[in-house]
Amino acid sequence: MISRRALELATAVLTGSFGVAVVVSSLDNGIGWSSAGVDAGTFPFLTGIVIVVGSLVNLVRGVLPAVTLASVPTAITSIELRRLAGLLVPAAIFVAAIPLAGMYVASALYVLAVLAIPRHQSVPRALVMAGATALALYVVFERMFQVSLPHGALAAALGF
Amino acid sequence: MDNLADLLHGFSIAVTMPHLALMAVGVLLGILVGVLPGLGAPNGVSLLLPLTFGMQPVSAIILLSSMYWGALFGGSVTSILFNIPGEPSSVATTFDGYPMARDGRPTTALATAFGSAAFGALIGVILITFLASWVAQVALAFGPPEYFAVYFLAFASFVGMGGAAPIKTVVALAIGFAIAAIGIDTVSGSVRLTMGVDELVKGVSFVVAVMGLFGIGELLVAVEEEFHARAVSSKIDWREVFRAVGRLPRHGVALLRSAAIGCWMGITPGGPTAASFMSYGIARRFSRRGRLFGTGEIEGIISPETADHAAGTSALLPMLSLGIPGSATAAVMMGGLMIWGLNPGPMLFVDQKDFVWGLIASMYVGNIVAVALVLLTVPVFAALMRIPFVVIAPLIVIICVVGAYSVSNSYLDVVMMLGFGVVGYLFKKLFYPLAPLVLAIVIGDKAEDAFRQSMLLSKGSLGIFFANKLVTCLIVGGIALLLLPLVLQLARLWRKPASPAIDTPAQEKVII
Repeated sequence: MISRRALELATAVLTGSFGVAVVVSSLDNGIGWSSAGVDAGTFPFLTGIVIVVGSLVNLVRGVLPAVTLASVPTAITSIELRRLAGLLVPAAIFVAAIPLAGMYVASALYVLAVLAIPRHQSVPRALVMAGATALALYVVFERMFQVSLPHGALAAALGF
Repeated sequence: MDNLADLLHGFSIAVTMPHLALMAVGVLLGILVGVLPGLGAPNGVSLLLPLTFGMQPVSAIILLSSMYWGALFGGSVTSILFNIPGEPSSVATTFDGYPMARDGRPTTALATAFGSAAFGALIGVILITFLASWVAQVALAFGPPEYFAVYFLAFASFVGMGGAAPIKTVVALAIGFAIAAIGIDTVSGSVRLTMGVDELVKGVSFVVAVMGLFGIGELLVAVEEEFHARAVSSKIDWREVFRAVGRLPRHGVALLRSAAIGCWMGITPGGPTAASFMSYGIARRFSRRGRLFGTGEIEGIISPETADHAAGTSALLPMLSLGIPGSATAAVMMGGLMIWGLNPGPMLFVDQKDFVWGLIASMYVGNIVAVALVLLTVPVFAALMRIPFVVIAPLIVIICVVGAYSVSNSYLDVVMMLGFGVVGYLFKKLFYPLAPLVLAIVIGDKAEDAFRQSMLLSKGSLGIFFANKLVTCLIVGGIALLLLPLVLQLARLWRKPASPAIDTPAQEKVII
C-alpha cells in the first residue's frame, strides 16, 4: 500500500532531481549575456531553477498535513499495486529483451507469457495470438511500410 | 467574402475520392483509439504520424484530423454504453449519458450526444473559417517580442485557468521546456543537457513523450481498476436517431452556451476536458432541471458533448494562425506540420493556401463522415469492448513500443518511452496536468528562440516587452493570469480567515 503523501513526496523528489540535473548541465553552456546574445545555457538554467523551486513547494505541501491529502490517504492499494506490477514488469522485461531477441521474437514471447502464465487464456490460444502478433508486425512494418524493426543479436548470430 | 471563395476552393481539394477515403480511414482508426482505454487521441495521432511522412501535407493533415474527430466521437460511445470514458474529455458525458442508456434509451443518448457534438464541431469550424485568416493577418506583423508575448500568454493561461494545482502546472511546463532544450541548440549550435548520453544529441522527440505519457501512462491507470464492461444494448433504432436529433433545437440555449464555452476553452489552451467539465457544471447550475442532472438528463449530455467538440475543433485555430496549439492533440499535429516542412503560423495562410483551406473544408466534411460512421459502427466497436483487457493491454504496449522505435529507429527512444510512461502514470495519479508538458515540448524551442531574438534586438534589455501597446497588453495579461491563482487564494483566506480553503478531491480534475 502506498499513501498519497508518499507518492507526492516521491514525485516531487523525482521532478526536483531532474531540475537539479538540468541546472548543473546547463552551466556547461554558459548562462548570461555574451557577444552572441543570450547564452545557450540561460533558458534551460532558468527552467531548471523553476523546476527545483516548484518541486520544493510541492514537497513541502506533501509533508504538511493539508486537508487535501488527509481526505485521500491511500493512493495505491496493494491489490492495485500488484496489477500495476503485472503490467509494468513484463513490459520492462519485454523492452529489455528487444536488443537480444529482436522485436518479433520478443513481442511474441511477451504476448505468450502475459496471456498463458497467469492462465488468462489457454496455452494453444495464447500461442496463436503470439504468432499472429509477430506476423502482423512483420507484414505491416517490414512489408507495407518498409520500416525495419530490430532483429536482435540472436538473429544476427544465427545469420538472419 | 474572400474567406468563402477560399473555402469553396478548399472543398474542391477536400471532396475528392482519395481524401474522402482517407477521412473514412482516419475516422475509423480514431473511433478505435477512442473506444480502447489506454489509447487516446494524442497518442493515436502520434502513432500514425510516422506513416504520413511520405504523403502530401494536405492529405496527411486530413488523415490526422479525421482521426481526431473519430477519437472524440469514440470516447463518447464507451462513456454512454459502458460508463467507461474512452477519452478524458468524455468523462463528463458519463454523468448523464450512462444513466439514460441504462434506463433503456441508449439510442436516444447516443444520438443526442452525436448530434450536439456535431453542432459543437460545426460552430468551431465556422469560427475557424471566419476568424483564422483574420488572426493570421494580424499576426503577420508580429516580430519576435510579440511572438514571445503570445507564447507567454498561452503558457500563463494554463497556470491561471487550467484547473489543476498552479504549482504543479508550472513544474509540468518547466519540465517540458527543459526536455525541449535537450540536444543541439538551434541558435548557437552547442549541445545542451545531454547529461553524458551521446545519443541525446538528436533531442527528445515529442512523439516518444506522447506515447509514453498518454499511452503507457493511461494504460497503467486503466489496469489499476479492473473494470468489467457490461454494456447496455448497443442496437441502434434509426427512427429514434432522427427523433432525438429533431428534439435538439428545443435545447438551443444550452447548445449555444456550451459551444461558446467550448470555443473559448479551445482557443485559449484550456482544452476539451476542461471545457466539457465547465460546460456541465454551468448547465447544472443554470438549468431549471438542474436537480435532476446525473439521472439521465438530455442537457447533461448536450452540454459536455457540445463543449468537448467545439473545443477540440477550435483548438486548431491558434495552431494554424499563430503556431500555438490549443490542446495536446493539436500540439502533436503541429509537430507533424513541422516534420512535413511546413511552418505553422500566419505564413501558412499566405504560402500554403491549399493546405489551410483544404484542412478547414475537410473539417466540415470530416465531421459529417464521422457522425455517419460512428452511428453505423456502434455495434462493432461495442463488441470490441468485450475483449478482455488483459488481452488488449499487451497489444497496446507493443503498439507503443514499435511506434516509439519507428520514429527514428532508436532503441533509446523505446526505453525513454517506458520512462515517460511511469512519469505519465505518476502525473495522472497526482493531478499534474499533461497537456502543458506536451505543449512545452513541442513549442518550447520556438518560445526560447523568440525570447533570444528579442534580446538580440534590444541588446539585452527587457524593456522591449513593453515597447508598444500590443506587446505590453499581452505580457501584462500573461502576468495577470499567472498571478490569478495566488490572488484567488488570498481572497479566499481574507474572506474566511477561520477555515482554510478546502479543496475536495472531487474538484481535482485531470486536465488533458
